[in-house]
Amino acid sequence: MSRVWPENTRVLVVEDDQATARLIQARLEMEGLQVFVAHNGVDGLEILHREAIDLITTDLMMPAMNGFRLVQEIRDLPPPKGRVPILLISSNQNEQDMVRCLAAGADDYMTKPISAQVLVERLWRMHQRASSGG
Amino acid sequence: MHLPPELVLRVLIWGTLILASLVCGLILVGAGIQYRRDRQNRYRIARFQSWEKDLAVYLFSGTGASRPFPPIAREDRSLFQTFLARYHATLAGQEAEALKDLYLGLGVHKSIPHRLKHRLATVRAQAAQEVGIFRLSEYLESVVPLLNDPVPYVAHLAAQSLARAGDLRFARPVLDWVLREEKYQRERLLRVLEGFGPELLPWLETTLEAPVVDPESWILFALLAGSHRHRESEPRLLELIDTSVVDIQASALKALAALADPLTYPRVEPLARHEAWPIRAQAAKALGLIGGPDAIPTLIALTSDQVYEVRRNAAQGLADLGHAGTSALTWLTEDPTADRFARDIARERLEWTDERGHQ
Repeated sequence: MSRVWPENTRVLVVEDDQATARLIQARLEMEGLQVFVAHNGVDGLEILHREAIDLITTDLMMPAMNGFRLVQEIRDLPPPKGRVPILLISSNQNEQDMVRCLAAGADDYMTKPISAQVLVERLWRMHQRASSGG
Repeated sequence: MHLPPELVLRVLIWGTLILASLVCGLILVGAGIQYRRDRQNRYRIARFQSWEKDLAVYLFSGTGASRPFPPIAREDRSLFQTFLARYHATLAGQEAEALKDLYLGLGVHKSIPHRLKHRLATVRAQAAQEVGIFRLSEYLESVVPLLNDPVPYVAHLAAQSLARAGDLRFARPVLDWVLREEKYQRERLLRVLEGFGPELLPWLETTLEAPVVDPESWILFALLAGSHRHRESEPRLLELIDTSVVDIQASALKALAALADPLTYPRVEPLARHEAWPIRAQAAKALGLIGGPDAIPTLIALTSDQVYEVRRNAAQGLADLGHAGTSALTWLTEDPTADRFARDIARERLEWTDERGHQ
């Protein structure tokens, strides 16, 4: 399926496992996206403050600031940064954690192991929804 | 005996020289080992960085035979296996299959039967792990004997690989291994059994002996039903809460809480008054998840239970009920006539829910 991302679409990837982060980065760059990588929530938040980020994908379990806390911190920011679509990636299937994250403001979630193809598709859907104001 | 001073001096000088050369020798050997390790690490990092780029191209551009990946030198094969194994928990679908193709392309899987019998535990462990990670079903039979391996982590990896294959032919040997392990490791063992998927539950139901004869297996059944949120196991769980074995009853209640079916409320509520505290504690937790406002009086009564775990779960149960339960907790903290335990636990839970971002 063909996707035409708007020019300069910026994605923030927050993932503590560096190998996984680099693989996700490579896949997203192949889509023509501009990718910023952070290895914990604190660094992720700093990049979000500095750059005009359009989409965020974050791991749940991370040092310094976990994904749940990161989602809360982002949603406490004023728009437009506070409304950036967030896709949460969790390494366990703990329903309660997922519900908490969605309740805190994450737009979607995936459970590891993930298919990079599905990840891109979900980010695309999130971006489409955000662009149409949904 | 009197030694001449020259001889004593000579012995002292030679002794010091020998000791000094020994120390120098040890320092040199240590530095040599460190240098070798640093070189290996630098080499490993360089190879991994190069392979990471190749892997991204291999996984994400083109499909099937058109996927390029540079050949791996014979001496790098072991390193490459480690590199590939890092991604097994991350990638799924077509990409996981592509990763497996890459591994099979190395040809190292052919030595698995030999490596599973190797005298070194690390080699046996890695071979067992490879069978699981890359789902090499043709070698599963050869992994079974490792369940009796004298080295615990080898047996654990063997069980994990057999479970991950999801083949119920291996459910019995893996279950037997789990039952032989220490009970304090139950959570860890449960993760192994979860590898079989929810299909293990109907198998357990039809295979296990009566709960009084084999209580430990039924406890595992209940905990697995909870972790898989397996609705089809609910009738059996309702039978298990009526058995006479406290641990089975408590585990079944834990599973019913995970299923959160409001229709089970009338069966769970009376257990809040059971004489065994582990059952009262699990019932309190379950009532918060399956009950509505009707559960509030029972949970308030449990907040003054003599056992801390019951009081804690009752307060958590009230918080889980949502607005009505939180109001009840607030009322408890402000009621001077309420039990001291109840007031304290209500206050603690309200503070905790605030911190965790619950409502």
